Amino acid sequence: MRWVVPEAEHMAEGTLGCQGCGGALSMRLVLKELGKDTVAVLPACCWSIIDGPWPVHALDIPVLHTAFETAAVVATGVKAAKEIQGKDTTVVAWAGDGGTFDIGLQALSGAAERNEDIVFICYDNEAYMNTGIQRSSSTPTGTWTTTTPDQRPEARPKKDIMGIIAAHRIPYAATATAAYPEDLERKVRAAMAIKGGMRFLHLLSVCPPGWKMEADQAIEVMRRAVRTKVFPLYEIRNGREYTITRWPDDLPLEDYFSLQGRFKTLLEDEAMLELVRGNVEERWQILLDRHQRSHPELAGAE
Amino acid sequence: MSGLEHVDDYPEIPVSLASTSTILKTGAWRSVRPIFANRMAPCSAGCPAGVRIPAYIDDIKEGRLEAAYATVTARNPFPRITGRVCPHMCEDNCNLAITTGEESISIRSIERWLGDAGMDLPDPAADAETGKRIAVVGSGPAGMAAAYYLRRTGHEVTVFDQRPQPGGILRYGIPEYRLPSEVVDEEIARLESMEINFHNNVALGRDFTLDDLEAAYAAVFIATGAGQEKLTGIDGEGLLESGLDFLEAANRGTATLPGPRCAVVGGGNVAMDVARVLRRLGADVSVLYRRTANEMPAIAEEYEHAVADGVHFHWLVLPRTIKKDGAQLRVTVEEMWLGEPDESGRLRPEPTGVTCEMHFDGVFSAIGETADTGVFPPRLRNDDGWLDLGEDGETVDQMVFAGGDLATGPATVIEAIVAGRRAARAIDEQLGFSAVWPAEEPLEVVPPKDINLTYMPHHDRSDDHAAAGATAPASFAEETDTLSEAEILEEIDRCLSCGHCNNCGTCFVFCPDGAIIWDDGPRIDHEFCKGCGICVAECPGHVMVLVNERDVSHA
Ligand SMILES: Cc1cc2nc3c(=O)[nH]c(=O)nc-3n(C[C@H](O)[C@H](O)[C@H](O)COP(=O)(O)OP(=O)(O)OC[C@H]3O[C@@H](n4cnc5c(N)ncnc54)[C@H](O)[C@@H]3O)c2cc1C
Ligand SMILES: Cc1ncc(C[n+]2csc(CCOP(=O)(O)OP(=O)(O)O)c2C)c(N)n1
Ligand code: SF4
Ligand code: SF4
Ligand code: SF4
Ligand SMILES: [Mg+2]
Repeated sequence: MRWVVPEAEHMAEGTLGCQGCGGALSMRLVLKELGKDTVAVLPACCWSIIDGPWPVHALDIPVLHTAFETAAVVATGVKAAKEIQGKDTTVVAWAGDGGTFDIGLQALSGAAERNEDIVFICYDNEAYMNTGIQRSSSTPTGTWTTTTPDQRPEARPKKDIMGIIAAHRIPYAATATAAYPEDLERKVRAAMAIKGGMRFLHLLSVCPPGWKMEADQAIEVMRRAVRTKVFPLYEIRNGREYTITRWPDDLPLEDYFSLQGRFKTLLEDEAMLELVRGNVEERWQILLDRHQRSHPELAGAE
Repeated sequence: MSGLEHVDDYPEIPVSLASTSTILKTGAWRSVRPIFANRMAPCSAGCPAGVRIPAYIDDIKEGRLEAAYATVTARNPFPRITGRVCPHMCEDNCNLAITTGEESISIRSIERWLGDAGMDLPDPAADAETGKRIAVVGSGPAGMAAAYYLRRTGHEVTVFDQRPQPGGILRYGIPEYRLPSEVVDEEIARLESMEINFHNNVALGRDFTLDDLEAAYAAVFIATGAGQEKLTGIDGEGLLESGLDFLEAANRGTATLPGPRCAVVGGGNVAMDVARVLRRLGADVSVLYRRTANEMPAIAEEYEHAVADGVHFHWLVLPRTIKKDGAQLRVTVEEMWLGEPDESGRLRPEPTGVTCEMHFDGVFSAIGETADTGVFPPRLRNDDGWLDLGEDGETVDQMVFAGGDLATGPATVIEAIVAGRRAARAIDEQLGFSAVWPAEEPLEVVPPKDINLTYMPHHDRSDDHAAAGATAPASFAEETDTLSEAEILEEIDRCLSCGHCNNCGTCFVFCPDGAIIWDDGPRIDHEFCKGCGICVAECPGHVMVLVNERDVSHA
């Protein structure tokens, strides 16, 4: 195999993810590095379903299903219990964007502020997919969802969750996507290597039915999100040191949007497209600036 | 641990202990199914011999030299030779070049490296002796290939040639600096070590007849080539020297220069070889060609080499008369212009009536060759004087086959090899040995639109580089070096492995359902595969295809 990705599987076949589910793929790849000595806490989200109905479930590790708003705090409690038992088990809160950006935010902020020894992973499909594609605060400007229909597509920009997390000064936070598996696996290893504090991974995770696209383009679409700067890949150490881990190229934004039916009206709305282009570029410049300030030794080099 | 007893009062939490795979057979969701398709890479399709290029490339990458060599020799026994002189039709078809505009994979260089690296490997042992005796007439690449495969089947094979040593044009035509005689010697030695018999200095039509052979052998393959220089129609034809004879003399080391200023008439590969050999002997050389560089039949690479060697090219000139003028030859040439395209699609040269004169010490003809079919009984010939042959080279005599330049007119080494192999197979079929040959089902070719370029490293192509000691135009030493193993491995990295699974693992990594099982390579678990098609879309060489589930379940 050409890929530096572990062969061992900790996710069984027969999950209830849709065809081409990025959330399922993210879990499968992340577990390869987390390994079996892990407990996962799932708030209400697609993954509550993907893992299978009682009496079966898909993961090789214990999974606790919990309430929508509680992923971080339940994970904190499980970690405390494991500590009492004298075990070094990795405890992961695995939440959707709703359970992270929206209703889960106060618990997440609390855990981050206390620097709890957990790994919080958000698989971000940019809407409430489990309940039928409603917008969340992660839904980007110009997106169609059932609550932001074509007549009134999402107007607000995607919430800057990484900025919020960075503001908590936790030891490690990173963005990643399954379209770059080696980058993803390395970030999981980096998160594992930092014990005793809060780690946060933000994974862009395609949802073919919710994004209104062909399932076989699932990897390509996530790759294009990175190439077009829509979803840059980077890490933040201690809330201050930014490192871009994959450089985008000149792929036009439209090449990302055009694969997805949810951007159909955006592609036809030149003014909104300009706004989005401005947002993407502005966020990229801020990131680039932080990267450069974190790496004065690399000045001039990309 | 006191104080935690209250936990016992909690209602029991439902716990799932069995795996989803026990009851959720998600394969039933599928409407399309990925399957490993047996498809052909376009490079292989472009190769007249259909050599499975990505398969041997994969073997080389994995260090399986013997397997790589066996893959090539299953269709082309002489990679050392074609790896040096083949016009590499495979490379023209490379999907990588077509889709990216980057240069194609340097397939010929890889083949050359493999030929050299595999030189000392044992050839597959011949099957048990069949007791059948087969005669091959002509020891060029067509005869050599036929002998090689017939011997592998276990027949006793004897190769007859009128020349003192075997090899045909490989030895007596192609110049030393492009194909060293050492390489030809070693390839012939390989054939001898397989116990193929060579009888040299014996000519069909002079020392024996076809009927003699048919009486003594179970089958006969004739591949006597196209060794006759065509007449130029120039007034003063007798003053021209034969390009082919000159190249043969050069290969024997007996060529001499008629004088310091020479001309070569023609624009094909023979013309390029004659011109370049003349340069190496120290002459000032002009090629006289009636069309322009665009229409020249010579391989572009050979033309570039000739230019680099300092050969002058005179376009749009047609020699009309040659006369002695003191110690020199006075050549009257007519200037031409290009008219409408002819049957070959090239612009036709039309006379202008304007003439001029040029002086040379020697003028060589190299306008094309034809076959001498006079030695064959009339029943084998058709009205045009060529042999009347079926697709596999069969003649009216059931056990007599023919092929190579003799059948096609001047072609290429690899086409001669293909003719030899095809005839060997046809002979085996006649003799009842078809089981030793692999089935040949027609395969669909992987089209450029199918491949995924995401995972290929973008680095420059490596070509055979100029050999240090062989700086033109003085030397006859081989002009290029075989690439090093490291260079070959780097070059191989660029190949997308179209239609051939090289176990890259991409499908395995990206399947969201873990439905690709990795046992030394990918296996699709159709019990759970949901048919998302990611594996098919991401596989760099598009080894898999999606088929409609109904077509397979109800097949
Ligand atoms: C100068 C030159 C350069 C070329 N360069 C290239 C190149 O770079 N790449 C490429 O792919 N192709 C090249 N070709 C073409 C290629 O060499 C031929 O297509 C190929 O050799 C044909 O193989 P063959 O076995 O049919 O015939 P040949 O190679 O011509 O062999 C025929 C053999 O039959 C023998 N023979 C003839 N008559 C009799 C008889 N009556 N009795 C017994 N034996 C007889 C001859 O002595 C000869 O050994 C070149 C050709 C020439 C002339
Ligand atoms: C308090 C509460 N409100 C609403 C719900 C209904 N609900 C279940 S999952 C979900 C949306 C989840 O969205 P997200 O977190 O983005 O995960 P996804 O389904 O997209 O993977 C909602 C609204 C709930 N379970 N609990
Ligand atoms: S990329 Fe490789 S397999 Fe594909 S056509 Fe080119 S050489 Fe052949
Ligand atoms: S990626 Fe997996 S689920 Fe999708 S078609 Fe291929 S094997 Fe089936
Ligand atoms: S992706 Fe790689 S391992 Fe999978 S089928 Fe294609 S070549 Fe084989
Ligand atoms: Mg969501």
